[in-house]
Amino acid sequence: MTVELEAVLGDPRDGANPVGAARILRADERGELLAAGEEALASWGLNAEFVPARLGGRLVAADRLVRAVRPVFRRDLSLGLGYGVTSLMAAVNVWSAGTPAQRRRVADLLLRGERLAVAYHEPEHGNDLARNEFAARVDGDLLRLAGSKRVVNNIARCAAFVLFARTADSAGPRAHSLLLVERDRLDPARVAFLPRTRTSGVRGVRLGGVRAADLPVPATALLGAPGRGMENALRSFQVTRAVLPGLAVGAVDTALRTVLRFAMSRRLYGGTVLDLPHARETLAGALADLLAVDALATAACRGLHLLPEQSSLHSAAAKYLGARLLTGAMEELAVVLGARYYLREGEHALFGKHLRDLPVVGLGHAGETACLLAIIPQLPALARRAWRTPAAPPPALFAGPPGPLAAPAAPPPELPTPPPDPAAPLVAPDADPAGLPELDFARLTLASAGRDDLTGLLLTATVPEDGPRHLVASLADSLRALARDAATTPPARRGPLADPETMRLAERYALLLAAAAAVGTWLAGRERGDPFLGEPRWLAATLARLYGHLAGRPAPLPAGTADWLVRTLLDRERDGLSFDLSATPVRT
Amino acid sequence: MSTAAAGPATPPDALGPARELERRLGDPEDPTVEFSFARSRSLDEREEFPEAICAGLTAWGLHRYFVPPEYGGALRSYEELLHLVRLVARRDLTVAIGYGKTFLGAVSAWVAGTPEQCADLAERVLAGTPVAWALTERDHGSDLLAGEVVATRAEESFRLTGEKWLINNATRGRLLTVLARTDPAGGARGFDLLLVDKERLGPDALRCLPKVRTLGIRGADISGVAFAGAVLPAAARLGPPGSGLETVLRGLQLTRTMCAALSLGAGEHALRIASAWAGARRLYGRVLADLPAARRVLLDAYADQLAAEATAVVAARMIHWLPGELSVASAAVKYLLPVRTEASIAALGRLLGARSIFADGDFQKVGRDARIVSLFDGSTVVNLHAVVSQFPNLVRGYRRPRPWSRLRPVADLRRAVPPFDRERLALAARDGLTVLAALPDAARVLAELALARPGLTTAAELAGALARHTDRLHATIARLRPARGGAPGTHLAAAQDLARCYAGAAAVTLWLANHDRADQEWPGHDRAGHDRAGQERPGHDRAECGSAALWTDGRWLAAVLGRLLGELGEPVRPRPEVDEALWAGLTGQAASRRLFSLFECELAEGMGP
Repeated sequence: MTVELEAVLGDPRDGANPVGAARILRADERGELLAAGEEALASWGLNAEFVPARLGGRLVAADRLVRAVRPVFRRDLSLGLGYGVTSLMAAVNVWSAGTPAQRRRVADLLLRGERLAVAYHEPEHGNDLARNEFAARVDGDLLRLAGSKRVVNNIARCAAFVLFARTADSAGPRAHSLLLVERDRLDPARVAFLPRTRTSGVRGVRLGGVRAADLPVPATALLGAPGRGMENALRSFQVTRAVLPGLAVGAVDTALRTVLRFAMSRRLYGGTVLDLPHARETLAGALADLLAVDALATAACRGLHLLPEQSSLHSAAAKYLGARLLTGAMEELAVVLGARYYLREGEHALFGKHLRDLPVVGLGHAGETACLLAIIPQLPALARRAWRTPAAPPPALFAGPPGPLAAPAAPPPELPTPPPDPAAPLVAPDADPAGLPELDFARLTLASAGRDDLTGLLLTATVPEDGPRHLVASLADSLRALARDAATTPPARRGPLADPETMRLAERYALLLAAAAAVGTWLAGRERGDPFLGEPRWLAATLARLYGHLAGRPAPLPAGTADWLVRTLLDRERDGLSFDLSATPVRT
Repeated sequence: MSTAAAGPATPPDALGPARELERRLGDPEDPTVEFSFARSRSLDEREEFPEAICAGLTAWGLHRYFVPPEYGGALRSYEELLHLVRLVARRDLTVAIGYGKTFLGAVSAWVAGTPEQCADLAERVLAGTPVAWALTERDHGSDLLAGEVVATRAEESFRLTGEKWLINNATRGRLLTVLARTDPAGGARGFDLLLVDKERLGPDALRCLPKVRTLGIRGADISGVAFAGAVLPAAARLGPPGSGLETVLRGLQLTRTMCAALSLGAGEHALRIASAWAGARRLYGRVLADLPAARRVLLDAYADQLAAEATAVVAARMIHWLPGELSVASAAVKYLLPVRTEASIAALGRLLGARSIFADGDFQKVGRDARIVSLFDGSTVVNLHAVVSQFPNLVRGYRRPRPWSRLRPVADLRRAVPPFDRERLALAARDGLTVLAALPDAARVLAELALARPGLTTAAELAGALARHTDRLHATIARLRPARGGAPGTHLAAAQDLARCYAGAAAVTLWLANHDRADQEWPGHDRAGHDRAGQERPGHDRAECGSAALWTDGRWLAAVLGRLLGELGEPVRPRPEVDEALWAGLTGQAASRRLFSLFECELAEGMGP
C-alpha cells in the first residue's frame, strides 16, 4: 500500500510530475496547497485510511495508517496536514464518541473524499481548553451556537466539523461538549467564516475561523454525552498524538536524503562534503534520531491497540519528543547544507520548506506544554508502581510491521446497518495480520494509574553481549533517578504551575520512553533475525543521542556507529529505500 | 550628556551614537514611520529592498561609521559601530545586512589598501556609494581556495573572468571587492582582491545575476555577478600580489566580530515581542509570564541576550586593544552568538506557539531573518574549524597565566579605545586569548571581593566553576591529536566549549572592570527621571529601569555564567535572587522602553514619529 501511494505520487524530482517537488514548491510560494496533490490523494482514496474497516475504510491499525500516509509527508507536510490529518483529527472524535448514525455519516463523507475540520482553538486560551468560551446553549431540539474559533484548518471548505463548545457555565472539566456540525446546513445569516490566517510555515494550509451568532443546529449534533467534551477530546488527542510524529518522520526522511545527496556530490576542500567528519557525524546522528522517533511513534501507535490504558502517557511523550527530536535533527542537517538551505530555489529548496513546515507538528491543538502537562501528574504513580515492580511489554508491541506493507485485505463488506452497540469494536479483531487487537476507544483512559509496561524494559531487559550494555545500564540509572525525583514533586507543581524542573521530569520521561522503545525494537528485531533492526549499532547510536539529551549535552556517537549509519544511508539511497525502521521502497 | 557623577572627564559613551540614531529613526511601532516594523514586514512580503530606509540611514550618516577616522569617517570605535548596527538590526535585519554590507565591501581596503586606495574608497563610501564583497562562488561555497574567478595580469591591467554567486548587494553595489585567482596554480598566495568599479567597466564586461529568493531577509539583494573579461587598472589590487586570501582572513576578523550586532538585534526584537505577549496573555487563570515554566523561557532568553552583549562588547574592544588575538576571538564570537540567538528565538517561538508563525506578526520574520547570520561570513562549521586550527596557540597561551589587571583597559568602558591598528592583526593568535589566560586570576579576584560582599558569592562561585572547566578543557584540547582534513566531532565540540568559556570569561572581565561604576551611573540616564532630551518620561526612574539591579552583587554575571555552564554540561540550579534581578531587568527595561541590555539605552517606542 505504501508502495502504491509512492507510485501514485511519483518521482518528486520529475519536473513533469504534477505532484513533484517543483510543483509543491511553487504552490507553497503562492500560499496554496497543491491542487493536483489533493486530487491525487482524493482519487487514491486517502481518506479511507482514516475510516475503520468496519465502516468501509482501511483503518485497521494505527501504525499501518502511519506507514500508509507517510509518503505524503515525505513530499509535503502542508499537504499531509492540510488535506489529510485534519480530517483524521476530526474523525477520531466521531469514532470514539459518535452515535452509529454519526459514524456512518462521517465515514460516508470521508469515503466520498470530503474534508473534515476540527474547531477547538480559541486564540485567547491556547492550550487551556477548559477556558474556551464558544457556547452551545440547549434550546428545545436545538443547540444555539455563539462565539468564534480561529486558526482552524479547512473550516471554510470542509463538509463537516467537530466543534468544542461550552455547554455549561461552570468551571471545571464537565463544562464542554463536542458537536458534529455539517457546514452546508448552517444558516448563512448566522454564521461567518473568517478570513484566512496566513503563516510562515505550512503556507498552503488554509487556516480560517468561524463566528456564530445565535446559530441553531439540531440537538443531535451533540457528539458523545453532554459535558464530556474535554474527556472525549483528550481521548482523541491520544490517537493523533501517536500518529503525527510517525508521519512527520517522512518529512525528515526526505530532508535527510536531500542532505545526503548534497554531501555526496558537493566538492569542498579537495573531497566531497561526505568526506568531512562533521558531515558524516551529522548525517549519522540525524538517522539515529529518525529511528528513535520511528521506534517511539510505532510503539505509541501499537500501544493504542495493546496498551490503551497507558496511551495517555505514551502518545503525549511521542508527540512532544517526536517533534523535538525531528526538529533538532533538521536544524543539524541544515548546518551541513549551509547556505543552500536558506534558498527558496534550486535543488535543495524542498529542505527549506520541510524546515519551515516541521515545527508546526509541535504546535497544533496539542502543543508541547499540553503534552508535558499530560505526563507530569502521572509520574509519581509510575514511581510508586511501574518502576518499583516493572512489567514486561507485550511482545506484539514490537512485532512489526516494519517491512513493506502488504496490500490491504479487501475491506470487509459494509455493514447493512450500523453496529447496534456504539461501543462495539470498530475493527474486526482479526483484521490485522500483525495480530493487533482492535483499537478500542473506550479503553483509552486519561491516566495510566501507575502502569507503564514500556519504560520498565530499561530495568528488566537482558541485553545480549553484542548490545550496548553500558548505555542501557546508564539509561536504567537515569530511570531510577527519575523515579526518585518524580516521587518528590509537590502536588501543586504537577499542573500548569509546574516549574521548569518539573517540566523537565516529563521531558526525561519521554527520552527514557524513546530509549525503551528502541531497545524493544532492537531485541525483537534481533530475535526475528532482522539484519537491520537486530544490528546493535543503530541502537547504540540512538541510545547515545537520547542519553546526550538526558544529560543536557550532546554526546558523541559510539565508536564505529557513525560510519555504519552513513553506510546504511548510502545503501538505502542506492536501493531506493526509506530511512525509517521499515526500509520500504520509495520514489526519490 | 550624562551627569557629573561619572567623574571629572566625560567618559566615552559607546552607546551615544546609537541612541541618537534611534531617536532619529522614530517609533518603530508607528506604521507611519519610515523605518517601522510594519514597513519592514511589508517590504519583506513583497521582497523589496528597503531603499527608502537605507536612504534615511545615509541621511543620518550611518555610512560614515564604516570609514576609519584617518580617511574622514567616524569609525573611531568598533564598540560604537556594534551598538549602531545592533539598533538597526533590532528593527530589521534585512536593512542591517543590506546597509552594513558596505562595511564588508570596504574592509579589505581598510586592512590592506594603500593610503591612496583607502582615501579614494573612503570618498566613495562617504558619498553614500554601496560597496559589496564578492568572495563566494556557486560550486565552492566557503572553500575559497577552490575559487575559479580568474584575474589575468596584462601590462598595467587585470582581466577578470568568472562568476561570483550568493553575494549580498552584488547587483546594488556599485563597487565590488572581488577575490580572484591570479596564479593559475592557486594556493594560499594565488589570489588577489580587486576593487571593481562597475561604472568604469566596458559594456558587456559584467552581468548581474538574478536575485536569489531566500528564506529570510527576503528583501535583500542576494545575487551574483558574472565577469566576462572585465578590464581593471593595476591599481585595483588591494595589498601586495598574492595577498588576497590573507587580506580576506584579516578583514573577516573585523566583520565576524561585528556580526555580533546582527545577533544582538535579532535577539532583542524576538525577546521584546515574546515578553510583551507573555506579559499580557492569560492562560490557566494566570498571566502567562507568571507561570514558572514560561517565565523560565523569558529569563533564559534575557540572560542569553546579556551574555551575547557582554561577549560582543569585549570582542569589539579587543579589535582596538588586542587585535593580535582577534583571529580566534572573532571566530568564537561568530560561531557562538548566532547559534545561541537562534536557540533563544526557537525557545521563545515554542512559548508563542502558533503565533510564532503568523505571517502578520513580526516574530516569524525575525526567526527567518536571524538564521542568515550563522551562514554568512564563514558558517558555523567554518568558524569552529578556525578555532580548532588555533588549538595549539590556545593551549600554549593558556599555559602562560596573565594577571586580570592586564584586561582592565580592554574591558573598562570608561577608557576610550585606542585607534585600531591594522598592522597588529595577525592570522594566528600566538599568545592565545588573554581573556582565558587571565580567567583564573579574575576568578580569584572575584572570590576575594565576595569575602567582603557576601552577595557576590554566587557569581564568584560560578566564575570559579568556569575557571576550573576552562582548565580541564585546555587539558583536553592539549591531548587532541591535530586533525587532518575536516575536524571530527570531538574537536568541534571542544571548540564549541572553548567559545563558551571565552564568552563566560569575557563576562567576568566586563563585570570586574565596570561594577564599581555600574553601581553609580551609566551614560544615557540621569537620576532625575529625565531622558537625554530633557523630557520627563514615565517609568524612567533608574530603579525601575532594571540595569542597576543587574549589576548589584554580580547578578547578571551569575545568570550568564549559569547558562553557559549549563551548556558546558554543568547544570546550575537557578537562584531566586538572580532570577529576581533578571526579572526586574527584563520587565523594567520593557516597561521603560529601553534596550534589553547591561547598559542604558532608551528606545524610540512610544515616542511618536
